[in-house]
Amino acid sequence: MARKTLKYIVILTPFPVMVFSLFLGASDNITFKKIISFLFMQEATDAEMVKTILYHVRLPRILLVFLTGGILAASGSAMQAIFRNPLVDPYILGLSSGAAFGAAFALFIAVIPIQLSAFIFGLSAVSLSYIMARKNKQVSIVSLILAGIITNGIFTALLTIVQIVSDPFKLQSIVHWIMGSFHTANWFKLKLVIIPAVIGLFVMFLLRWKLNVLALGDEEALSAGINPDRIKIWILLATTLASSAVIAVSGIIGLYGLIVPHLVRMIFGVNNKSTLLMNLLLGGAFLVVIDDISRSFKGFEIPVGVFTMLICAPFFIWLLKKTNTGWQ
Amino acid sequence: MKLSQLYLLTYILVFVACTNSPPVQSTNDKIVVTDFRGVEIKLEKPAEKVICLIESALSGVYMLQQQNRIIGVPSAVYNDNLFQYYSRLDSRILNKTLPAPGNWDFISIEQIVGLKPDLVIIWSSQTDAIENIEQFGIPVYAVMLHSFSDIYKEIEDFGILLDCTEKADSLVTFTKNEMETINANNRNQTPKSIYFMWSQGITETSGKNSTVNELLEAAGVTNACNLPDEHVSVSIEKIYDWNPDMIVMWYNEKLNPVDVINDPLLQGLQAVKEGKVYELPEVFACDFWTLKMQYPAQLISKWAYGDNSDTENQNQLLRKMYVQLYNKELLD
Repeated sequence: MARKTLKYIVILTPFPVMVFSLFLGASDNITFKKIISFLFMQEATDAEMVKTILYHVRLPRILLVFLTGGILAASGSAMQAIFRNPLVDPYILGLSSGAAFGAAFALFIAVIPIQLSAFIFGLSAVSLSYIMARKNKQVSIVSLILAGIITNGIFTALLTIVQIVSDPFKLQSIVHWIMGSFHTANWFKLKLVIIPAVIGLFVMFLLRWKLNVLALGDEEALSAGINPDRIKIWILLATTLASSAVIAVSGIIGLYGLIVPHLVRMIFGVNNKSTLLMNLLLGGAFLVVIDDISRSFKGFEIPVGVFTMLICAPFFIWLLKKTNTGWQ
Repeated sequence: MKLSQLYLLTYILVFVACTNSPPVQSTNDKIVVTDFRGVEIKLEKPAEKVICLIESALSGVYMLQQQNRIIGVPSAVYNDNLFQYYSRLDSRILNKTLPAPGNWDFISIEQIVGLKPDLVIIWSSQTDAIENIEQFGIPVYAVMLHSFSDIYKEIEDFGILLDCTEKADSLVTFTKNEMETINANNRNQTPKSIYFMWSQGITETSGKNSTVNELLEAAGVTNACNLPDEHVSVSIEKIYDWNPDMIVMWYNEKLNPVDVINDPLLQGLQAVKEGKVYELPEVFACDFWTLKMQYPAQLISKWAYGDNSDTENQNQLLRKMYVQLYNKELLD
């Protein structure tokens, strides 16, 4: 299939996927027939109930999932570009472990909101990595990745301490938060996320064409009149802001920001000018599908983070073995 | 990329346009109780459709004989070890027709809203879920149990919310009397020190500010762990420092008392030397976050000061307690 056709398929896919997802859910009372008669005839039995579940339970969740998937994929893609490394994801600088510690800490002391704490500690972890890596007013990529590993270690250790001293109730909540889930998604959480997410995405989109120049190397970027360090910092800030916001409400969604960019690169090539949007749309739509599976079980929910790991890990291995998913 | 940019803009506009608030119900309240968050729960009339997502609280509702008001239960109820009891208490559970919209932490908001409850009972630690349920105007009674008085309060509150205060009072009075009797029987004994072992392993225990401590004191023994924590992981050396007279294990699927007695690490402990290691039987019978607290208290008391091999007598005790609390035979 021509790349252009695929591009239009990816652009047009999210809307029908999200509409289809509105019909899926755990409630036995909200049948397909009821939804259809409510949407098109406004006369379903239990119309108020159908409206509540569609507009206040399913819709905010679908939108939040789409935004989360899109941001993780777009951030992963942008970070892989600035680090010139295909194994990088938005968590490489300690964002996930910082946010996990923040959430666990908030659950433990029960004074500050979980989302706020996860957001603050997620940002703090990335800042710490950056400060540790900075030497003589310069930040090398290798130092930054190493600092990220150290930061991950520090916050994982702190998280372990919180888990040890937590009672079983809180421990269970911490473990579930870390698994990643949207089971308490609502309009309020979407509102919390939307501003930092849009700001982050806006900066990434503004700078997307410069990512192609950065991929050639710092010297080439300088010769093209681009200050690579400044661009990297802006991209780091944007991806961290957007990813921290979505992780704060969703928990840790593992591997997603690593695999979707590979999938997009496999289909559309390495031109960041166009792949950033493809990552946003495909990443969003794919996570909506995964969450549909997660929330369609009766009586309980399997955390979406578990599904992304189970689905993405074998897919990634298959990708490695079957195709040339190289960087160039 | 013009089409794609237009598409992106459309998505952003949809996001922004969609963000609105769900409906909130207004009430003309006649029933008011304060839950464990300190929040007042206000109902116009006794709750008729209750979703209870805490197994121990559900047990309380069945003790109050208010099962007809239950429309949703925790999914744990359908696990084998609990199903054998709840299927005797409720034919809807036996036939697996009673919805289970969640459990300890993961719940389906959609299923809860779809069941149209007029009260949801849930752990107060589930703050996210509570916030989500309450935004639909559904009253939430949040529970957190740290002591026996919390358990009595929970039952008394259920009595008010479910219009059965007399039954609630009688159950609480009966349990308090039973606990007092157990304690009075051992008042002249020199208190033995007990190390309580949770199912995670020998190093997991509870300290002085815990329900376990209260249970042990009610049984006329003392908690060997002198740390203040509700739940704490300690070192083996610390257990040697305390050198308890007896070890009581919470029900454990992987370990039994013989394993603990044969554990080479524990051979220097007084309790192990004397073979005084006991395991509380199944969780449902010994759930001391319910009014069934009297059964484990009786068992510990008997293990410490009385005849500890009389299983027939233990079964009789259990049978009697089930009939008194649930008004039903739950044993074969």
